[in-house]
Order: sequence, then structure tokens, then C-alpha cells
Amino acid sequence: MTRGSNVMRRTILALPLALLLLAKAPNVFGAPLDAPALARHIDEAIDACLRVEKVAPSPRCEDAEFVRRVYLDIVGHIPPAEKAAAFLDSREPNKRAQLIEDLLASNEYGKHQADIWQALLLQRTSDNRFISFDKMTQWLEKAFNDNKPWDQMVRDILTAQGDMDDNGAVTYFLAHLTPDKLTDNATRVFLGVQLQCAQCHNHPFTKWKQDEYWGMAAFFTKVRINGNPRQIARQGGTLVVSENGKGRPLPLPISAKRVPPKFLQGEQPQLASSDAYRPVLAKWMTSPQNPYFSRAMVNRLWAQFFGRGLVNPIDDMHEGNPPSHPQLLADLSAQFTASGFDVKQFIRALCNSEAYQRTSKPNTSNRDAAPELFSRMAVKVLTPEQLYDSLVQVLGAPNPENFRRRQGVAAAAAVRLRNITPRMVFVAFFKGEDNAEPTEYQAGIPQVLRLMNSPQLNNTTMLAPLLKSGKTPEQIIEYLYLATLSRRPTAPEMQRTLALVHKHADEPRQAYGDILWVLLNSSEFTLNH
Amino acid sequence: MTLLNLSRRDWLKLSAAGVSAVSLSGWLQVLASRAAQTPTKHKSCILLWMDGGPSHKDTFDLKPGTKDGGEFKPISTAVPGIQISEHFPKFAQVMNHAAILRGMSTSEGAHPRAKYYLHTGYKEGQGGLNYPSLGSLVSAEIGKPDGSMPNYVSIGARSYGAGFLGIHHAPLLVADPARGVENLKPLVNGSHFDDRLGLLHEMESAFYREYKAEASADHWTTYQRAVTLMQSKEAKAFDLSLEPSSVRQAYGSSRFGDGCLLARRLVEAGVSFVEVTLGGWDTHQNNFERVKQLSQQCDPAMAALVNDLKQRGLLDSTLIVWMGEFGRTPRINQRGAKPGRDHYPRAWSSVLIGGGIKGGQVIGKTDKEGATVVERPISALDFLATICELLGINWKKQNNTPIGRPIRIVDKGATPIAELLG
Repeated sequence: MTRGSNVMRRTILALPLALLLLAKAPNVFGAPLDAPALARHIDEAIDACLRVEKVAPSPRCEDAEFVRRVYLDIVGHIPPAEKAAAFLDSREPNKRAQLIEDLLASNEYGKHQADIWQALLLQRTSDNRFISFDKMTQWLEKAFNDNKPWDQMVRDILTAQGDMDDNGAVTYFLAHLTPDKLTDNATRVFLGVQLQCAQCHNHPFTKWKQDEYWGMAAFFTKVRINGNPRQIARQGGTLVVSENGKGRPLPLPISAKRVPPKFLQGEQPQLASSDAYRPVLAKWMTSPQNPYFSRAMVNRLWAQFFGRGLVNPIDDMHEGNPPSHPQLLADLSAQFTASGFDVKQFIRALCNSEAYQRTSKPNTSNRDAAPELFSRMAVKVLTPEQLYDSLVQVLGAPNPENFRRRQGVAAAAAVRLRNITPRMVFVAFFKGEDNAEPTEYQAGIPQVLRLMNSPQLNNTTMLAPLLKSGKTPEQIIEYLYLATLSRRPTAPEMQRTLALVHKHADEPRQAYGDILWVLLNSSEFTLNH
Repeated sequence: MTLLNLSRRDWLKLSAAGVSAVSLSGWLQVLASRAAQTPTKHKSCILLWMDGGPSHKDTFDLKPGTKDGGEFKPISTAVPGIQISEHFPKFAQVMNHAAILRGMSTSEGAHPRAKYYLHTGYKEGQGGLNYPSLGSLVSAEIGKPDGSMPNYVSIGARSYGAGFLGIHHAPLLVADPARGVENLKPLVNGSHFDDRLGLLHEMESAFYREYKAEASADHWTTYQRAVTLMQSKEAKAFDLSLEPSSVRQAYGSSRFGDGCLLARRLVEAGVSFVEVTLGGWDTHQNNFERVKQLSQQCDPAMAALVNDLKQRGLLDSTLIVWMGEFGRTPRINQRGAKPGRDHYPRAWSSVLIGGGIKGGQVIGKTDKEGATVVERPISALDFLATICELLGINWKKQNNTPIGRPIRIVDKGATPIAELLG
């Protein structure tokens, strides 16, 4: 359904594209702009397009929408009740920009980015099921928190050597294991292109030929592992990845073409047989001159915060799938490169833009407007990780002993051995389709049944201290709304829920339990609006 | 008019406008009474999805005594002249209800694209659309729109979704058939649960009124479906513990066997489409040991399924499809200590059973190496059109995408296999 909107976008935006090129654009190709200036540039480009389309954007969102949104987008969970209340009550004129700074400085920022990137970089398959992804998650978390420049991060991932315990980034190689899978993932995730069709035949929609695919794959053919990964993992040994080292070459599929290494749509580098190939590929991929690299990351980060890319689907950038705002994408890519691939700086600019801070409520002018006009914020569905962390934020963390018991005797060993956590089990259960749009509701009946009826997700122990705190019913209800929806109840909501509390005056915990159940099962809780 | 006869958007629009005539306190009773009605008899389909691509030469198209013919011996079946692998001895006895299609010939050789193609009849990414899978199409065409049971259940794997048909036709996933659908009982008693839903309904309407978010409508649709299932009597169909252990043994006491038994129970309860996945057929290495072991899981489960359905008078109305995403190379590869066979879409086999087909026949033929179809080739489109035809679905019908693009159920160029249609 979501993919169908491509056609619409192409027709709608054909006109403003031409006009945008005529519009007076500030020169952003030189020195990097600071975040407020880049945010203004984003708004100029988005607003120019809206004017052409005669669509009035939705107004700035209320503080309650903002605080919930920016917490979910930057640190991956809803704010605690106290923080939400403090933000709503603050009269600091600069409080939104300040909150963005605080969240970017929090270590939870890296944790949230690691969740996103682990899912992109490492997919569980039957071939890698014995390889733990933990070290890579830790590696990603630290790299994002250190704000390691993006080009450096990608080079480190692509050229990783050594053993997994010392260098978590080698997990990337071990999770894919074959040159074709590495080529598919690296080109899709880091360059935003879908090259895999060209594995077996010339790409149907682009100029990529089958030889170009295997030219890229050839860069991965000199990597060696210190033996059979499954056997090593079973024996509790350490996997070591090396370039040009000893060991068996990686298997290639029958359809593989044996061609020398060659850059996608680029030259064939002069390589000696003793050269390491991956560093050459990584240098080309992450070079400021590479036409794909900066655009792909800019588009991906844009989609993280806006619910869809400037090119959408995000990792299918080719001539037949043009951006909604070509000049803006070009400018942002140039800026991201000029900043030294500074990810936090880019996120800072996105979050400070008016486009990001719009309410997601439609108005009479934009209720049928195409989503790629960004006339209001997209309503995104919480990812399984965001949902779990937000539930834990409200209900408290589950008891690990209970969790082990529930997994059963046979699984208990596996739980300890592979370090399986309740969070991993929850995420695996709620995970949607791989290519789902962030705005698409993906949970099905089993997931909804678990939210409604599982004792673990309906643990109301958090109510006990609240009931003993001496708070009035109004204060308790307000707290529950702040803790779950980051806002205070409306007058009718307060009236309705108070009536419920009074009706069950002899069983207050049941009444508050009902209110909590309704809040946690609501669309408003499960959506980032 | 009750809640369930309204489309989700109509309903939310009405609620949002404050016109809701639906009394929620009466809602669950309505559902319960609906659940008590006996389902009308209609056609069903059980897709046994052999994930990874089974080796045709080692299952249903053996080439004994030829180069790379493999280790397995052919055995005779209940139908004179038809031979299959020795590791399907029980299924051989019900061959009179089955047709083996040995001329499958398709064009996708990578797992994700081939699975997508064989599930939807369209190439992944074609025209920028997300196409509905066979299960979702069956749900939309012959499923009951307001039944208490889901119309499409997928057992053992996520499978493919509803694409542009929308979440209402998405599969209900059962990860482990022995555990069925978990968390079916509410934590509070009936009327108390009803009160909670009443309050939730108010919140949902208020949120939709302001935000008009599609995800919110889909969220509520899913909640409605889950509550409907909770209240229904048929939900006990998901409980395998109600079967005697001898029955589970007959199906092979494996997870796949449990899946097939659950499929039978669900078809009895009126579910239109059940997909049961058996993974592990991607036998690049150690082909013979693995195919033998997988065949031995399939064999009792398939035979028991056919016999059970027949005994219940459901075999003629239930089409069973055995297939994977492609076959495997006629040549045995030379990699590793225990070699295997690689992906091969050019010539492979599938099996259809029951569903009113003319059984006891083999359709199509490959050359002596199982490398090329020499007689009666069957494309993915021919195959899907045949399944539709057998289920009484007009496969030439066009569905509209949300932006109004007409998309045929099966694309142009399909010819159903006439030999099957009795």
C-alpha cells in the first residue's frame, strides 16, 4: 500500500521540482552551516514546495507532542512522567532546542541508534544463527555515542579484522559470510541501492550490469576466517577475520562471475595480488566524491525522523525513483559531507526544523495532501524496541528469574548461553516485515493478544506506591496520563476516568488498573505522533 | 447493522463524528451469538510450504540410474505406473488423490524473490507495489468477511502478507502449533473486560478524530479481530491438546506434523487458507541426509492429513498444495565433504491433493537428468491460476490498490491446467 504512493508522488512533484531549481537557494556547498542555519534551509525548501502546491502546513506541535516525539526519535523510549511534566511546565523559551541537546548527549542515543543499525546490518538467518550479535551492538552503541564520523564508522565496519571479542565490528562480516551477501547489504545500507538483482542478470530498471555486481563482490573475496564458524562457535572458540590471511576462501554461488574488482559505475582499481581489497573498496565508498554515500545516509536519517525518505523506499535510490525534493537532498548531502559526516550535527538540524516540529494532526488544507510534501509530521508506529522500552519505562523491568522460569527447563540453558533477554524475545515476537514502512501498523492478532492479556505486560505493581503516596485521584490519573502519553488528561477524560474511580471506590487498584490498561493499549500509546 | 458489518474507516468516521450507534456493552454478546452459528461449507486450501526449495530429483521426480541421479530408490504407489521417493511410503498409499506436477518452470533463483513470486504471482518490486500473497487473496475472495475466525492462518513462519489488500487479510501467525494462539483469555472477567474495551473505544475514536492516522485505524481493526477471536467458540480449534495422542503420533509427532494437524482442525472450523511451513530444504550441503530426514517428516503428516480430511468428508472441498520456491540442480555440487544441490528454478515439481482435482496422475515431464521440462511446462502464473480455479476464485478479476490501480489476481498470460479439472 505504502509503496503504491510512488506513482502519485512522481506526478504531484514534477512541477515543483522545476520551480525549486529556479528558487534562490543559498550556497550551501562551501563551509558547513551550523544546525539552526541548516534547519532554516530545510524549512525554506519544504515550504517553497508547499507554496507551489498551495498546501497550508499544520501548525507547530504542542509541547506534549514534542517531548514524546523527540524522546522516542532520539533515545528510543517515551519520557518518564516527571520529565514530561517538567518540560510541559518549563517557561524557558529555548526549551525544545535544549531538550534536543540533552537527549543527543545521553548514552541512550547510541543505544537507540545501535538498535536501528543492528537490524539493518545483521539479519538472522539459518546460516548465522550460532553467531552472537552482542559485540556488534556494543560496538555500534559506543561509536554513535562517541559521534564517530560516519565515513570512519563505515570504513571500520567494512574492513574489520581480528577477533570478535576485541573488535565487535567483525560480526558484520561473520553474519554475512559470502561475498554476494556482503555486496547486497553494503550497497543497500551504505549506498542506498538495490544491486542484488544484478547478481543473476542485468538489473531490469537501472544501468547496472551483472559484471558490475560481481566487480563489487570481488572486493570481498580475499577475506579469510580461521575455520568453520559453526564448529568454532560450538567449541567455544573465537572467530578471527583477516584479509589476506590463511584459511579457506569463501564460497561463491554457481551463478558467480569471476571478474576483477571494479567500483560500481566507476573505475577498475590497479591492485596487486598481495593487496588487501576491502580497504580500497571502503575508501572509494566513503569518499566525499562518492555520489551515493552521503545521500544514502542523509536520506536514511531523514526517514528515521520524518517517517519516509526524501527518496522512498529509502534504500532503492535509482533513476526511476526520484527524490521528492531533489535540491534539498543534494544540499543536505553536501552539508553532511562538509561537516565531516557529523551524524549528531545532522540530527540536531533535523529536529530543530519547523518541518519536524509540526503537529501530525491534519488541517482542512492538508488532510489529503501527499505525505512526501511533509506538510504535517508523519504518525510513526513504535518499533518493537521502542514499544518494549516504553512499556518498561511505565511498568518497570520484568523479573529475570520469572523470565527464565517461563522459558522452560530446556530453553533455560540457551537463555544463559546466548544471553537471551526478555527484550530480545519481545522484539522477535513483535518484529514486522523487513521492508515495512515506519508508518505502517504491523502487529497482528497474537501481538495484540499479548498486550491485552499477558500477565507480564499487565503487571500493575507500579500502582502500589502511587496509591500509598497520599495523592488525590485527580493527581493519580494525571500521573498515569503523563507516564504513558506524556500529556495531562483533557477535562472530559478526567471526568470519565474519575467516574470510574468513584464507581469502584472500594477497589481503587482495579479502577486505576483499568485506566492503565486502556492507556497502554491505545493507539496514542503505540504510535509516535 | 452491527459493528462488524462496517468497514474500519466507516466505523471510525461514524465514531469520530459522535454518531456511534453501537452500544459496546452489547457488542460482545453479538459476537458470541455470531460465533455460535455453524459455518457454511466452502472451499479451503492448505499450503504445505517447503521452505528453501526441495530437490525434485530426490522427492517426486526421481531419475534412478542416471548421472547424479542420487542415492534414493523409487517406490511404487497406489497408482500403477507412478513412482516417488522411497522416503514417502505412506503418502504413496494415497497417491490416487494426488497429482504430481513435474513441469514446474519458473524464473526466480534467489530465495526471497522466488518465495515472493510463488506466493504472489508478481515479481518483487514490480511496478512499485506490494502484492498480496495467495493466502490473503483467498481470504479476500472466499473468506468470511465477518466470521469470528481469521481467514488466513500461517503456521511455523511469518510467510507473506496482504500487501495492498490491507491488514484485514494479513495472516494470523502461529509460531508453534503445540502452543496454539497464546493469551486468548482476558485477565479480568467478561463484563469487566467489556468495560475496559468501552473506555478504549472512546480513546480510539477521540484520537482518530484528531489525527486521522491510518495506523490508528489498523490498530483498532486488529484489536477488534483479536477480541472477536477471544470470544469465539471456534477458537478451541487452535488447541492441539484436545486431540488424542494417537492422532498426533499418526501425523509424525513433529512440529510440522503438529502444524498439519492444526491445519486440519482449522479447516474444520471454517478457516479458508492455512499455510504450514517446513524449513530446511536449502540443501547446498549434505543433500541426501537432509532430504531424507525432511521427507520422513512430510510423509506421515501428509498421509494422515489426506486420510483425516477424507474421513470427515472434507477432502473434496480442501485443496492441499505441496511446494517450495524452486527445485534443485540436477547436478550434485562438488563443494564440501557432504555435497548437495543448488537452486534450480528451471525444472521442478509440486504436488496438488484433494480439492476436487482428478487425482492419481502425473502432469508434465522432465528430461532424463531432470534438467529441462520436455512436456507440459507450467509457469508460476499457470500454477496460481489453477489453484484459484480449483477454489472457485475468478483469477482474472481486478483488485484496486488504494490509489486505484487495477491489478489482476493472476497476471495476464496464465492458463489453468485443464488436466486437473475433473
